[in-house]
Amino acid sequence: MTTALSVREASKIFGGQVALDHVSIDVEPGEVRALVGQNGCGKSTLIKILAGFHQPEPGTEVTVGGQELAFSDPTSSESIGLRFVHQDLGLVGNLDVVDNLAIGQGYLTGITKTIRWKQERIAAREALLALGYDIDVRRAVGGLAMSERTAVAIARAMSTRGTPATMLILDEPTANLPGPEAERLYALVRRVADSGVAVLFVSHHFDEVFEMADSVTVLRDGKHVITRPVEGLTEDELIEHVVGRKLDEYDKEGHVRAHGEVILELKNLSGAAVQGIDVTVHAGEVVGIAGITGSGREEVAALVFGGHGHGGEVVLDGEVLPVSRPDISIDRGMALVPAERHQNASLMAQSLRENITIVDPGRHMSMGILRHRSEKSDVTVWLERLDVRPAQSEFTMAQLSGGNQQKVVIARWLRQEPKVLVLDEPTQGVDVGAKADIHRMVDEAAAQGAGVLVLSTDHEELVRVCDRVIILRRGKAVDELSGPRLTNDSITAATIGRDSSEPAA
Amino acid sequence: MSEVQAAPRRRINLGFDRFSGLYVWAALIVLFALWIPDLFLQVSTLKQVLTFQAIATIVALGLIIPVAAGAFDLTIGGVVSVSVCFTAWALVNHHGVVVAVVGSILLGIAVGLLNSLVVVKFKVDSFIGTLGMSSILIAVAAMISSQSQIVLSTEGYAPFLDFARGEFLGLPYTVYYAAVIALFMWWILEYTPGGRYLYAVGGNPVAARLSGVRIGRVTMIAFVTSGAVAAFAGIALTATIGTATSIVGEGYLLPAFSAVFLGATQIRPGRVNVLGTLVAIFLLATGVSGLQLAGAPSYVTDLFNGLALIVAVSLAVRTASRRK
Repeated sequence: MTTALSVREASKIFGGQVALDHVSIDVEPGEVRALVGQNGCGKSTLIKILAGFHQPEPGTEVTVGGQELAFSDPTSSESIGLRFVHQDLGLVGNLDVVDNLAIGQGYLTGITKTIRWKQERIAAREALLALGYDIDVRRAVGGLAMSERTAVAIARAMSTRGTPATMLILDEPTANLPGPEAERLYALVRRVADSGVAVLFVSHHFDEVFEMADSVTVLRDGKHVITRPVEGLTEDELIEHVVGRKLDEYDKEGHVRAHGEVILELKNLSGAAVQGIDVTVHAGEVVGIAGITGSGREEVAALVFGGHGHGGEVVLDGEVLPVSRPDISIDRGMALVPAERHQNASLMAQSLRENITIVDPGRHMSMGILRHRSEKSDVTVWLERLDVRPAQSEFTMAQLSGGNQQKVVIARWLRQEPKVLVLDEPTQGVDVGAKADIHRMVDEAAAQGAGVLVLSTDHEELVRVCDRVIILRRGKAVDELSGPRLTNDSITAATIGRDSSEPAA
Repeated sequence: MSEVQAAPRRRINLGFDRFSGLYVWAALIVLFALWIPDLFLQVSTLKQVLTFQAIATIVALGLIIPVAAGAFDLTIGGVVSVSVCFTAWALVNHHGVVVAVVGSILLGIAVGLLNSLVVVKFKVDSFIGTLGMSSILIAVAAMISSQSQIVLSTEGYAPFLDFARGEFLGLPYTVYYAAVIALFMWWILEYTPGGRYLYAVGGNPVAARLSGVRIGRVTMIAFVTSGAVAAFAGIALTATIGTATSIVGEGYLLPAFSAVFLGATQIRPGRVNVLGTLVAIFLLATGVSGLQLAGAPSYVTDLFNGLALIVAVSLAVRTASRRK
């Protein structure tokens, strides 16, 4: 039998940075292979080379079912039998299943170019039944369950209207699926493999690796670490391969700040992904929340602050906050530096002055007139305190670099002297210098008695600023790390499936 | 850090990006002064331009508010019509000036509330929502006027007509109303928290909401303001022309939008503003009246307005993209 996928000596260098370093892997027909590693380990670079999106370095060779992949031709990967399903699935929600299956490959048409709907529907139904899904193909995709949507996307990828599929590549297939739906998907992938197609999936969820894969390949820092069968592998071993170290390093001195009364309580907080978490933050304390994409971490800030409606209670300084009222959260002393600053925090066309004072523009009102001059000197103090460059209050937000924009957003909130400061990915897309400044500001806010909640995917950042870190997995708070147990590796390990309370193997 | 180096260069900028309208306006005045000095360089021309534009200016000033908050209000023409018809109807049916005036303003406020109900609560896009509402208003105006013209005779309604026609320093009162409303709007937008909220909602509603701005309430106040101001313009228009028809307001819709959007390229480029809107109105009015005095046919008004808007906005887009 020909090897389904054979990658030889794959390398890729981005501007002097080696992203992928002579990686070789083979996947056999009918095999389900998991590809795991930390962010930046080279997984996505490899996938993008296979998809024809990146040109690898010379010397790289890829064959699919014996046919060579032509890197210069972006249609080559499709025509030799590689199929991809990305995390966002690429479906059109308001079209039905039949239309979604036909997108990109054309409809069956009669001699007059009329679409032969009946045949289309039969074909669509059969394709899904083959994957074990009995779905009414005339329903809009947006109304289907998440695992059903994934099935539609896989059915479309597997469609044999062009060349038959040899190799199916999935990116985080169950990242957004609740437990039972994830299990349905495991069965689906099994069926695909049983039909003789090889499956390669990228994953951060170790449960899906152990449930779904026959074998696993680990990449670290662009290099191949190990490829081995899943059978006989323990979770701890896998984690050690991923992070590259033994996990029993208790070398960190915990920096636990002296802190005061409870200032923020989340009681059974729930949303779309978050499923009832309890968190307590004291005045002067910095609490972190970590979790991989899909764990619910990305939702927490909006739930706490009132950006989205939530279940459960948010108690700020003894008072329950109303649902979905950011204005009241602010009045009671909460501040939010949201993730995705362009979308959620920046007034790009407006001056730094207006960006900073938007929370309470009335502060410099006197005799019915907003005094621009006193507003300006107030704002300039903050621009200088956070070392925003240039510290020009009349520059527009769009004229600043990302890191400086983020400092302006932080200035907006520190100026309010909040009781509770919520930071969501506070140093996303920010350079090293600005990052250090922002961490220093977090320390200062805590020192002045604010309770700080930091949500971040940057685990070093959490170790740097937090007293303790709560770990979310699939919407639940599963662990809490503090003191000597609070390390970069232990956070990474806990987010992908290892409870630190369990003894290391 | 290229922004830092760009700062000194801004100082020797002649301001073509911010003040292009003023340059064009000056050029137009010079052009007509040389071309038709006898007709153009008259005090009467100035007076005529100011008088003719007063009501259009009031409507445009009201429109600035929702546009600043990122919402279209296409009902302003309809509100003018309804207000004109209601005012005339109330007067000829002897309900008195107070009912006529207060009733009209209340109607304008009601339309603003309905608009915000549709846009904020039902989440209909403001362009579509107010377009639908404007059609309803045409029907309402026709109902009020019983689909015929209402005439207010000069003798019978002198006190009311004086509300607009009365003169001070040679200019009709409407010019002063427009000036007072312009000052008020300028104060609101530049010197009150309300102005900040409006621009924030228009600039990035998500960021505004997460900064504690009640975006629904801000949008509602914006629609109510434009409705009330358009209704006031309708009252002034009734007193100016002394007749009421159900379609009289429609002619004020497009010029108001032209002025506001053209104005957004002036003084404070990229945001709608009062001074820019005033520059735009008088730039357009100067061009139009000059051409008419030079003997151009009357359709030149629409032609000139349309061309000026497209040219000015494309120039502004070009300058903005070059600056990046």
